[in-house]
Amino acid sequence: MIIRLKSGIVYDPTNNIFNRTKDIFIKDGKIINKNNIHGKINQTIDCTNKIIMPGAIDLHTHIGGGKVNIARLMLEEFHDETDAKYDSSSIIAPTTIKTGLKYIEMGYTTCFEPALLPINARQAHAEMADIPFIDKGGYALLGNDDFFLNLLRKKASQSVINDYVAFILKASQSMGIKVVNPGGINAFKFNQRALDVDEKSKYYNITPRDVVTKLARAIYDLGVPHPLHVHCSNLGIPGNFLSTIETIKAAEGMPIHLTHIQFQSYGNNGDRGFSSAAVEISNHLNKVKNLTCDVGQIMFGQTVTMSGDSMSQHKNHKHAHPNKWMCMDIECDAGCGVVPFKYKDQSFVNSLQWAIGLEIFLLAEDPWKVYLTTDHPNGAPFTSYPHLIKLLMDRSFRNDILRELPKDILNHTILHTIKREYTMSEIAIMTRSAPAKILGLSQKGNLSIGSNADITIYDKNIKDIEEMFAHPIYVLKDGEIVVENGKIKKYRWGKTHTVKPEYDKSIEKSLTKFFDKYHTMKLDNYVLSDEEMENMIGSKVYVNECKYKRKQ
Amino acid sequence: MAAQKSYKSMVCPFCSLHCDDLIIETSDNNIRLTQGNPECGKKISRHNINSQSRTSATINKKKTGLTEALKKVKKIIEKKSEVLILNHGTDLSGLRSLLTFASKYHCIIDHITSKFLFQNIGIVQRTGYIATSLMETKNRADTIIIFGNNILKKNPRLLDRILIPDASLCVNPKKKNIILVGSFDKNTINSISRKSNAINVRIKLDNIPDFLKIINNNKSETLRFITKQSLVKINSIIKKSKYLVSTWTASDFSNTKNPEDIISSISKFIVDLNITSRAACMPISGPLADSTSAQALTWLTGFPSRIKYSNNSFKHNRTAYNSEKLIENKQVDTVIHVSNLSENELIMNKNIYNIVLGHPNSKLNIEPDIFIPIGIPGLDHEGIMFRTDNVVSVALKSVRKLKLPSTQTIFNKLI
Repeated sequence: MIIRLKSGIVYDPTNNIFNRTKDIFIKDGKIINKNNIHGKINQTIDCTNKIIMPGAIDLHTHIGGGKVNIARLMLEEFHDETDAKYDSSSIIAPTTIKTGLKYIEMGYTTCFEPALLPINARQAHAEMADIPFIDKGGYALLGNDDFFLNLLRKKASQSVINDYVAFILKASQSMGIKVVNPGGINAFKFNQRALDVDEKSKYYNITPRDVVTKLARAIYDLGVPHPLHVHCSNLGIPGNFLSTIETIKAAEGMPIHLTHIQFQSYGNNGDRGFSSAAVEISNHLNKVKNLTCDVGQIMFGQTVTMSGDSMSQHKNHKHAHPNKWMCMDIECDAGCGVVPFKYKDQSFVNSLQWAIGLEIFLLAEDPWKVYLTTDHPNGAPFTSYPHLIKLLMDRSFRNDILRELPKDILNHTILHTIKREYTMSEIAIMTRSAPAKILGLSQKGNLSIGSNADITIYDKNIKDIEEMFAHPIYVLKDGEIVVENGKIKKYRWGKTHTVKPEYDKSIEKSLTKFFDKYHTMKLDNYVLSDEEMENMIGSKVYVNECKYKRKQ
Repeated sequence: MAAQKSYKSMVCPFCSLHCDDLIIETSDNNIRLTQGNPECGKKISRHNINSQSRTSATINKKKTGLTEALKKVKKIIEKKSEVLILNHGTDLSGLRSLLTFASKYHCIIDHITSKFLFQNIGIVQRTGYIATSLMETKNRADTIIIFGNNILKKNPRLLDRILIPDASLCVNPKKKNIILVGSFDKNTINSISRKSNAINVRIKLDNIPDFLKIINNNKSETLRFITKQSLVKINSIIKKSKYLVSTWTASDFSNTKNPEDIISSISKFIVDLNITSRAACMPISGPLADSTSAQALTWLTGFPSRIKYSNNSFKHNRTAYNSEKLIENKQVDTVIHVSNLSENELIMNKNIYNIVLGHPNSKLNIEPDIFIPIGIPGLDHEGIMFRTDNVVSVALKSVRKLKLPSTQTIFNKLI
């Protein structure tokens, strides 16, 4: 079957194509060259006045795993049966089915769960396998697990650490490595309530800087495309921009991705001891070569925060709204905390958080280095993306909202002075091509010949940009039309993206000893094979290439 | 000729600890535990096929082929107006297919032990809660409070494998303090005392909230159920503790006046301890895949149990979809019992049409209208089940070749 997308206005930043009218041809799930068409074209979609982009990619969204299920369980009162199109689960903690429906209806075709605990990987993948339409993947959490911290304490060589990191990627079928509050979650288990970048944990005598340096190096050495994904120390604490900058330095020039950086860009100036440090953070983002970030924009309204950062979530439970919460210590591996929260537009702090996120977006000189996220659902549900895009593209819309917020935030933000409006091309970069690039997804986020035909088509006649991005008229997943005229046409199931760098198998000997002595399961039960992924968990594995052969 | 024996490692599906270090011997599909706790061995041997086992489908007591039985099930389901699927324990694949079936035929789904599940999750839905997992307990807990007296019997390896293991990362197992709250027998206390410091607080389980209030307030007053000396000792242990774990199984509280009050009091006690120290709860779920059911249903429907498919999605009602009441009041006309994991007696109401997708050794109080034997995940087919701590799931292997269909196979044929 050959599909022709005729006369669309194409945005394909990877190929430097912006706002150019052209045709796209699709066969067997891939984009093909017009010159290679020998059979008849089975379907032509007239894309006159339609914007064609690659399917959008969300590189940081909490869509599967234990903490998401805790939130679903906890927040029964937010179920809503008013829209019969979907099940009643709340959009702040949707079911897997609703997650898939909502994402594909917005033209998102690939999403990544950023906090996949290796010990919880089987569950996380099983949940994600039950999300229809989209391709997915996860970043395995390291840096708080006792095995790794023991390696650091014993001053294991970088090569051994690299072996361990590569093993974890394979065993947990992950796409990258994330570190959350480096060493801090573990320290919380020993009753430490804070851990700054150069502060030593009491039990292991290791600093967060040590953790970041070693893990960033491992990812670099192994050639894993996605840089170390870092949730920094001191999340949400006024003045934390300093520790964020120190974390950047801890990477020692190696690639590093700072996630939900909005929560890490706080100053402590002013009467209330809370101010924006977006300028300071943006200066680093613009200057440091190997640094990327996603923003984690907040939006006003009810949501639920879920994080591996049990240290910070335990502290935050005092702000729970409604007043219930849960924290958990997990298998000498990591932790988690789930705290419902309502961002209020008349709150000085929440309004400033909103402004700080937007400042970071608007001060970023290079849209290839900053990605559009709300850290779903921590800042807001992912369904807020079209609204966020409008905030970025429409200055007057942004300022209208800003005017409604507490006036005193204007003393602590420069948002009202920023004139920039994002262009359609920049939106295409930050939601498609840039995340594909930083993840090493060569066949996604672009419309090159041979790439996956994951394509979103918007109606340019819709003047309200938020409405346009909320309701694409067509979405194709692997060459099949799954959304037509804004309505779901056909269910299909995506695959799981992974990377599998090579490693010295001798690490498995040390791990077997550790597992047999201290763990509660055998090493071979911990490892997820490709066969188990496909036959039991329910998702085929797609192995992405590493950037290069392992360096050490 | 002697039957061929083989030795395999097995992941045990029969209690919520799901130990994966068992070594078994299989001979003619009979399984014998060769390495592990004898209590587990007894449990596992009950799943061997014997002369009483039902390995063929029956309709009205008469043996029939699987195809015929499925045809009959389909015919019945299409005629009946209100169908309840009562889950007595199945694996993840079974649950996924069961949900697909339920959405086609607009069924109600409940788990046989939902009552206990809701008692535990009630805390998460109402207030603050701090939990921990088996490995954290094994390696970090220096003080463990066990509430209720059946938890160790129901989970034979909890003590040796988790609570007082041979090795721990961060604590000396021999120096662990185990506080037993409830009526524990002498053998249990002695066996714990041999490995660590055991204290038995022999109080009625109904008195747990009062007991914890006193501990929390750190008052040296004497209650009628505990001596001042014991109280001082317990207070001292708790004060010195660096990582305290409270564990219980909700079914132990079923004969108390207010089980939810007891569980809430334990949770509050733990939350309060965390103001200055570290502590966590570790409830132990039942052996009928309660955690597996709650986890999978939650991510697929938004609710852990007691759901019904209507108007395009699953709706939840804790009262209206309570299977016990539905059957008692004959508000359903057909019950499909799904029982993969236990041979214990399955109670049916003779006034309702009963279809059993059952364990071949199922004991049945009455003859069901249709019985279809199904395989046991972890023995007859592969599967995934969740451990009691909900964060770890295990991959079950197939270790014998009885060719019994899985729950998934049956439901897929019915869809």
